[in-house]
Amino acid sequence: MKKVLALFLSCMVLLAGCSSGGGGKEPAVSGGNSGGSDSGSKAEEITIWAWDPAFNIAALNIAKEAYSKKNPDAKINIVEFAQADIIQKLNTGLNSGTTKGLPNIVLIEDYRAQGFLQSYPDAFYDLSGTIRAEDFADYKIGPTSLDGKQYGVPFDSGVTGMYVRKDYIEQAGYTLDDLKNIDWKQYIEIGKVIKEKTGKDIITLDPNDLGIIRMMIQSGGSWYLAEDGKTPDLAGNAALKEAFELYKEMMEANVVKVNADWSQFIANINNGDVATVPTGNWITPSVKAEASQAGQWAILPIPKLPQTPNSVHATNLGGSSWYVMNIPGAETAADFLAETFGSDVEMYQNLLTNVGAIGTLKAAASGEAYSKPDDFFGGQQIVNDFAAWTAEIPKVNYGISTYAIEDILIVEMQNYLNGKSIDQVLSDAQAQAEAQVK
Amino acid sequence: MRKLKRIGTYAFLGGAAFVSIFPFLWMVVSATNKSVDVTKGRLLPGNHLLDNFTKLAESTDLWTSLWNSARISVLTTILAIVIASLAGYGFEIFRSRAKDIVFNILLLSMMIPFAALMIPLYRMFANISGTVPAIGIDTMASVMLPTITTAFLIFFFRQNSKMFPKDMVEAGRIDGLSELGIFFKIFMPTMKTTYAAAGIITFMSSWNNYLWPLIVLQSPEQKTIPLLISNLGSGYSPDYGLIMLAIVIATLPTALVFFLMQKHFVAGMMGSVK
Repeated sequence: MKKVLALFLSCMVLLAGCSSGGGGKEPAVSGGNSGGSDSGSKAEEITIWAWDPAFNIAALNIAKEAYSKKNPDAKINIVEFAQADIIQKLNTGLNSGTTKGLPNIVLIEDYRAQGFLQSYPDAFYDLSGTIRAEDFADYKIGPTSLDGKQYGVPFDSGVTGMYVRKDYIEQAGYTLDDLKNIDWKQYIEIGKVIKEKTGKDIITLDPNDLGIIRMMIQSGGSWYLAEDGKTPDLAGNAALKEAFELYKEMMEANVVKVNADWSQFIANINNGDVATVPTGNWITPSVKAEASQAGQWAILPIPKLPQTPNSVHATNLGGSSWYVMNIPGAETAADFLAETFGSDVEMYQNLLTNVGAIGTLKAAASGEAYSKPDDFFGGQQIVNDFAAWTAEIPKVNYGISTYAIEDILIVEMQNYLNGKSIDQVLSDAQAQAEAQVK
Repeated sequence: MRKLKRIGTYAFLGGAAFVSIFPFLWMVVSATNKSVDVTKGRLLPGNHLLDNFTKLAESTDLWTSLWNSARISVLTTILAIVIASLAGYGFEIFRSRAKDIVFNILLLSMMIPFAALMIPLYRMFANISGTVPAIGIDTMASVMLPTITTAFLIFFFRQNSKMFPKDMVEAGRIDGLSELGIFFKIFMPTMKTTYAAAGIITFMSSWNNYLWPLIVLQSPEQKTIPLLISNLGSGYSPDYGLIMLAIVIATLPTALVFFLMQKHFVAGMMGSVK
């Protein structure tokens, strides 16, 4: 027994020795490093992390090209990681307390931004002096700022639209005008008729993704969390209650084609299994992937909530923004963002034509590329429409834990569909959320 | 009656075989189709294999990633089995009063999940980057070092060393071989099957390793194959044909290693059960 004890003690001493050694060394190492990279602030090398080669990375390449013209010395490394991988890497890096290996600029989804900004307050570089918040669509400022300081450069608009199969609704005896500016109640009624006449469902939904609930409540200026971004606002949230009721009504009306994941979601669209797809504008390339359906699609304003008084025909799903990390090179990184995504109107035209990215910089929300008709959608000027709807999206504070709360709601939604009362469902969800989100 | 039983057996085995083979079949078939067809659930081979391949080779650093994965996996495997077998052999053959305590502590370390080690490990490698950049973050060494010795592999070799006749060690000593000589000239050749099994296990886990390389590797030219595949699926409109082809390519080396050493693998695993 004594020997075991002795062994453990010696292990402890050894471990303690190691850790103090490491701690002693650290300042010297990081000091040396920052000293080296301080020299020549403009010629610094910056690293950017983003996901999706066809979208964000492509946009970055255009920005890099535009920036390099003005600053030929700048060296910009664009590194592609999957979104989940970026979150994992950021969390590990920031938790370990070293700035090594972190990028200068990182793309973060708006729903997750406040979580990072509030958990690691010193890790991000304040851009208040570099860009002007009022230059961007209002609704983007909530997620990208904290305590009056602007940390993010708003990027793509997650503005939604209702993608409609013209041939199906005409078969059911409707015209496009009948579906324009409707509310979700009318939407379900139309869905029933379409189902009867054509046998097609009106929408495809994944029970594990409440994107449609998020779209519905944001159109009414409401969110899972109260305006402070910290207090769960589920029980007594009228818009959320209405959205839940509509969801159940939709399910019970038998007009929903259930999908299990993203690939099935896309498949249901491409196979022509559904008559409408209310979702973010980023779905456009996936819809167009089935070229044989050209001319059969149109995009209409998203339906609104019938009973929530301030609900509008515009809302958001997804979208992300750029953040500068507070590490050596931050000034160069901020300068890069300010000169490209922060102000370059011409570059946004380029982004739209070549990448299909709809930005949120107000000054860039017009121009030739925006009014270009799209033949796939029967010559509709889809970007003009999206840009107009972007300006109307109600501003909400996504807060720190959109996805944690959504996990709770996904389970409670199933309880609700199985017969639990709505008030009970929401107050149970509220209790769980309060216990979890602190 | 016997015939009927046979039919039943074959039907059951056929069903089980189908369930295990279908995903692979689906993967290979999908690699030859374009994305839209994959999502539609097309089961027939298509003619987009070449298209997918060209796109994959053009849009990603496929060859660099394959090369990175290959050298990391091969080096890790060789180093890991040499080190772990030396340790396992030592634990079994040599006598020491402390060895069981040390061995138990070693086994206890198997209970610590990697998620708990990740952040301190990252910190360690980040700190060392300043003094010894060659083994700091974003290097091949940083991916390999934490995986070179695993408690499991040492345990595996110790269990298998129990079958190794101690008389042969004695004989070796009498004939004047050094201790290392006994290990390399007698133990290693005798335990070929164990080495094969350990080799396959290590190669596969190293080839498929995802979380640690993801954390510690930064630059695109260091990326391994699992990271490359992870990127492919991350877009708003992923190209499923392309992803499937990338997965086929990523599966081939492990499948090859497994089939080449299958006979030894089964024998080696049986040995550790005995």
